[in-house]
Amino acid sequence: MSVSYKSVGWTRSKVIYDVVLLLGIALFLRGFFYAAEQLRPVVTALDAQSLQIRAYGSCAFLLLTLVLMIGPLARLDRRFLPLLYNRRHFGVITFAVAAMHLESVLVWYLAYSPIDPWVALLAMDASYGQLRGFPFIPFGLAAFLVLLVLAATSHDFWLSFLTPPVWKAIHMAVYGAYGSVILHVAFGALQDARNPGLPLLVIGSAVLVCGLHLAAAWRERERTDASPATANWLDAGTPDLIPEGRSRIVDLPNGSRVAVFRDNGKLFAISNACAHQNGPLGEGKLVKGCVICPWHGYEYRLVDGCAPAPFTEKVRTFRVRLDEGRILVDPNPRPLGEKAEPVLLPEYRHEQA
Amino acid sequence: MTIAAAIVVLVKAYLLTGAAVAIPFLVFGIGKTDPSARGAYGFRPLIFPGLVLLWPLVALRWAGTWERQPDGNRRAQRRAHALIWLALAVVLSVALALAWNQRQVVLPAPPSQRLSAAQVMDIDFSPMSPAMDVTGIVERAS
Repeated sequence: MSVSYKSVGWTRSKVIYDVVLLLGIALFLRGFFYAAEQLRPVVTALDAQSLQIRAYGSCAFLLLTLVLMIGPLARLDRRFLPLLYNRRHFGVITFAVAAMHLESVLVWYLAYSPIDPWVALLAMDASYGQLRGFPFIPFGLAAFLVLLVLAATSHDFWLSFLTPPVWKAIHMAVYGAYGSVILHVAFGALQDARNPGLPLLVIGSAVLVCGLHLAAAWRERERTDASPATANWLDAGTPDLIPEGRSRIVDLPNGSRVAVFRDNGKLFAISNACAHQNGPLGEGKLVKGCVICPWHGYEYRLVDGCAPAPFTEKVRTFRVRLDEGRILVDPNPRPLGEKAEPVLLPEYRHEQA
Repeated sequence: MTIAAAIVVLVKAYLLTGAAVAIPFLVFGIGKTDPSARGAYGFRPLIFPGLVLLWPLVALRWAGTWERQPDGNRRAQRRAHALIWLALAVVLSVALALAWNQRQVVLPAPPSQRLSAAQVMDIDFSPMSPAMDVTGIVERAS
């Protein structure tokens, strides 16, 4: 896909995704200001700047919650996959809203500080020795720093530069950032017992996000029971388990996965991990002998694992054979770019003849 | 110098060094480390913040002393993912319970002490007004 880098590879679906997201954010902020105006008693009304700080903070928290729900939802139900395709845009926009929250805090509380505003922000609250009034700002700053690194390394260049394992490890820091955000709110805004809605929002979000991730992990665990081996070849079940145009995912002894596809009566085995971001190729669509990664649309030919020209990405292929009606997969991959001959199912042989 | 001031100085020094590495890398080094970047200029400003933040990795990669990392064991990665969320569920439950315990309940003022909206609007909020005087200085002075 990436012959040479572009700033953003816009597609129609990306534009629609971003427009819907930005409209949602605008509606949320408008609704927040309206609700605060209508619901708060006059004597506790907030000034415009404090309201802005809370609106941006709440919005960033909700966006982070939503972006973290997309992954497990897509693992649990394929209908959520389209939300996954442009998740990086979602993440960058979340960072932008969090930056607006921080900027509002710096402008409102520290613009006229006689010392450096960042020093003032760090030194503002230092009562680490007690739970009541425990400093909540460092939690927010830590989360912001993580979101900054993730947004700054979201371009395709970084995936290639850092390599997928390192890039993935860095981006998994978002889980820690979410924990940090929960603590920031718990020891910050949540300490004001007058607001009944906030605890519901924070605790509900934390339960939902943790629950979804654990449910998705449980589902994965069920799926990853090691495939039985027959003379070192892995048993992928019978052909009737794989519908036409779909795949069955098999676990290798090293923990990697192979997707066994059925295309026009032929069986192909290809690595389940896309060369781009390790997206699950086994969940992708088949179009003209190519599998399309459901995450970002990278394409690979089933027969040799190569992306069609002019693209250069490659994934590994595996040999397949049929033995007494069962599909067997060689756990040793073919060299990159080398063909692995498919197996024609017996019921299709006469059609081909 | 306070700890906060020392942290800020160190962060600024780190970022300045990052900028000093990032600019020449964008001009001279990027095409050598990634062929897809040759002749592509529009995306370079977008990666500048990341180069500043991750400059030690950038410098190592540019110097050729950091090799591409092979894919790790995916099963171990998936297990790590599940363990992270299990740990987060436990830590966040405990932290939320502790934070909940510390919430401060602000009792509403009795009706006799509450002000109407009109009364609030009438208050003189200027710094020297008696209403804003919490120390009694204004009263004593007058």
